[in-house]
Amino acid sequence: MENSFSYQSRIDHLRSRKFAQTREKIEVEGLLDEDDYGRVLPPANAWKSIPNHPDGSFYGLEGWTQNFCSLMDSHPVYVDPNDAFAGRWVYFMSRMRANKWNPNYPFDHLKENIEKYDIIAGIGDDAHFAPDYKLGLSLGWQGILDKIEHYRKINTSPEQIKFYDAHEQVVKSIQGWIERHIDLTEQRIQEETDPKLKANLEEMAETNRNIVSQAPQTLREAIQWIIWYHLASRTYNRDGAGGQIDEMLRPFYEKDLAEGRIDREKAVYMLACFMLNDTIYWQLGGPNKDGIDQTSEISFLILDAADKANCSINLTIRVHDGMNQELYDKSLYYLIKNKNAWPRYSGDKALVEGFMKNGFDAQLARQRIAVGCNWMSLPGLEYTMNDLVKVNMAKVFEVAYQEMMQDKSDKPSTERLWTIYTPHLAKAVRTAADGIRHQLKYQKYNEPELILNLLSHGPLERGLDVSDGGAEYYNLAIDGAGLAIVADSFAALQLRIEEEKKTSWEEVTYHLESDFEGIEGEKIRLLLKNSPRYGQGNSLGDQWAKKIGEEFTQLVRQESNPELRHTFIPGFFSWANTIGFGQHVGATPNGRKSKTPISHGANPCPGFSKDGASLALACAVAQIQPGFGNTAPMQWELDPTLATQDQAQLIGSIIKTHFELGGTLINVNIMDKDQILDAHKDPAKYPELVVRVTGFTAYFSMLTPEFRQLVVERILES
Amino acid sequence: MIGRITTIQRMSLHDGPGIRSTVFLKGCNMHCGWCHNPETLSMNPELEWIQQKCIGCNSCTEVCPTGAFSLKDGKPDFQKNLCTSCFDCLQVCYAEAINKIGREVTPEDVFTEVEQDFPFFSNSGGGVTISGGEPMLQPEFTKQTLALFKKAGIHTALDTNLSISWKQYEKVLPFTDLVLADLKMMDNALHQKWTGRHNTTILENIYKLDASGVPYFIRTPVVPDINDNEAEISAMAAFVASLKNVKNYELLPFHTLASCKYTNLKLKNPMGQTQDLSKERLERFQEIVKYTINHREKGGQTEDTE
Repeated sequence: MENSFSYQSRIDHLRSRKFAQTREKIEVEGLLDEDDYGRVLPPANAWKSIPNHPDGSFYGLEGWTQNFCSLMDSHPVYVDPNDAFAGRWVYFMSRMRANKWNPNYPFDHLKENIEKYDIIAGIGDDAHFAPDYKLGLSLGWQGILDKIEHYRKINTSPEQIKFYDAHEQVVKSIQGWIERHIDLTEQRIQEETDPKLKANLEEMAETNRNIVSQAPQTLREAIQWIIWYHLASRTYNRDGAGGQIDEMLRPFYEKDLAEGRIDREKAVYMLACFMLNDTIYWQLGGPNKDGIDQTSEISFLILDAADKANCSINLTIRVHDGMNQELYDKSLYYLIKNKNAWPRYSGDKALVEGFMKNGFDAQLARQRIAVGCNWMSLPGLEYTMNDLVKVNMAKVFEVAYQEMMQDKSDKPSTERLWTIYTPHLAKAVRTAADGIRHQLKYQKYNEPELILNLLSHGPLERGLDVSDGGAEYYNLAIDGAGLAIVADSFAALQLRIEEEKKTSWEEVTYHLESDFEGIEGEKIRLLLKNSPRYGQGNSLGDQWAKKIGEEFTQLVRQESNPELRHTFIPGFFSWANTIGFGQHVGATPNGRKSKTPISHGANPCPGFSKDGASLALACAVAQIQPGFGNTAPMQWELDPTLATQDQAQLIGSIIKTHFELGGTLINVNIMDKDQILDAHKDPAKYPELVVRVTGFTAYFSMLTPEFRQLVVERILES
Repeated sequence: MIGRITTIQRMSLHDGPGIRSTVFLKGCNMHCGWCHNPETLSMNPELEWIQQKCIGCNSCTEVCPTGAFSLKDGKPDFQKNLCTSCFDCLQVCYAEAINKIGREVTPEDVFTEVEQDFPFFSNSGGGVTISGGEPMLQPEFTKQTLALFKKAGIHTALDTNLSISWKQYEKVLPFTDLVLADLKMMDNALHQKWTGRHNTTILENIYKLDASGVPYFIRTPVVPDINDNEAEISAMAAFVASLKNVKNYELLPFHTLASCKYTNLKLKNPMGQTQDLSKERLERFQEIVKYTINHREKGGQTEDTE
């Protein structure tokens, strides 16, 4: 066995290379307000998409198959002798279209309300549900081809034959890509002079020869198989969902260990290479379907490997009653040690109990795990549109407010405003749900899920795309955004106009229209802003937040249709849309200036609490949970003076308490305020600084100045 | 029963074990030069003016009946000596640059406000701490508040300078799970000079506390040029080592974070020129404490302290 120094030096090399690749991406492609991913720059003679529609885009089975296979045939190959695994992804194929929705299936009837209420309808969006990697690991590529062949004989309509042909071609193109990596690796073996690196390349080549057709048998083969599937899926449509990584890899690790193929150090090295390959969302720990904790030795090794990689990492620790305390402690240790926004935490109790309220049993509910930005999914079992459909509740509020003030038939009041607001919110939610229904009807003609279908239970069996009835469940997500803006606005109006009579509807309206200009405007803005806000605990703002949250939840739930197997599940999340949503909303009665960002996800507006902000936040976000198994995450900007190892247990107790109170997901940043300010001024100085922007992590230096500003303000005002 | 408090601080991490809510009572019988809670010195409500928050709308100058708020170079200025604490200005300052420090609450009010954090207490081994000011200047309120929390199964701590008659302590200790007692210096004359009171009662009360069986910590603020010398620290450590039941002895380094409070309250800051106690000096004093206590332990004269 090689010594740990050589493993560490290889990991260091891979980290440096990754940072260099990130810098190259920034230089060539500019800044990007999303995850870093593990993608590398495309070559100069980049692949170009092949349109199959007059609008210059490509659609449907034929279009996507042709493009993906063509892309895979010319996809660059990537081998690094320091790496345990071959392969990197290069192209956002789904972004290389002229248009993301097939104009043959228009949704003009929805566009008026989409614009009016500023809805992100998600029509034409993709992925955002989880594949079942275990399925792939047990079948291998040949097993998947055999499965396609098997069901091709059962489902024989012309459309289904085309469906199976497409999937077969896709699998074969992935195999061809893997074979080209084997060729390159063998070439590199001839060239390599360092005996250790040569041995590594030989192992890499053998690994890939073994899995190009057959199912993986060793830990190295299993991880490499996951990487190939994932890179293909990323390339196809940016799919980043993972699974229960420790339990998925445990049998391979234990077998390798028992048969003397591996030791702990080598396993950590391989897992670190895996973490550096891409920022997939994985869950660690947590209960199995019978409620038994799944932590094993490899859970700890994965944390150790993440510590060594320490880049942009999306590991989620599932917190539950029977959890392994040692794993929890170790996760807190690394959270504090690295201050690099990983891991994050999900709360089993509320997620399971909430999901069961949709009519599912506990066994199924426990399998719905953290595998996406803000979202949970049943790997291989459901189609969800998680994190794709959002209603800008602040925009809906603006529509209602303006309608009330323009209609002089009755006096303005918060009671009247509520009676106007709720039907508008209902229309907005209905529009979002109609958008999802439109997607379910036509997405197969627009963008079939050719890669995710392969690791889903149902699409191949039924000969139907996962969006088109192929999936077992349709648990469809609609998220509300801007909750705090609306709650604080209602609270400010109620207190300052109706109770204290310090201002009037006319005066507030005047200052909203003039964006609080001048000293008088600023005075009124502060009067409104300093009203009791959501997050302060039993405040007027908290009461409104609860009321608005419950209304939104009920409206989303009403869209469910058991006959069609459509279960609509509400959440509160804004992703990185806080800036975009904010630009569409004028000044609001919570003292927010026009076109500035809306509140973040389920969080209160920044600066909501004068002290004890962490507890106030944990209480507030727990209280507005929709409670049906989707999340309203707590975005926690933890003060670095608190984040010391001797306070680890206290931090752990806040996390646990939030989940006991009903919380679902916690994203944590531990940022030094001076450092983040300096990094904002000169991002290039901090190429390794990672922030958890929302559910995802990103290199701070990759964010646009507007988004950096938003993150900085959030941290400074925490 | 009414008590006067300045604030209830959530997530207090330095006033006893775990996550705590600390209730700061208003009024103190000492006037320590280094006090980092000067807003708790006076028993009466008072006004603070945070100049940085002022937007210059001049509303305060328009309503102030005594001219305490007046225009200076076209901007509002505050002269505390003219303020009669009518708080009319509070109503018109929408920027919250003017705040009233001090409010009257019942023990039940405190309980209700703190109640939301009970789940955090139970997960972290925390609870509620009654601090100040000197909470024992309001002994009945302190007793009733502690009793309410104790009855609810919440861990209670009392942060006191131990300078009040022991009879008063005997009334509150049955409801107190932990006492945080101050020991500022052993030299009586210096103690008198820097705190306004002698330390005889304090030392006597520490011995009584030691004999009472109630768990307690002793804490010493280490202040540059006042007690940051080896002789004084050694003397205090030797005193602590002579105690039988003290659970912890902690040195609290002086910091300058409170200077803005003096500015906002228009109070003279006796330590305005003093710098933070350096980490190195604090560590040196901690070593002295450790050595002194260990040395006494070896002589079999004291039990273990942490």
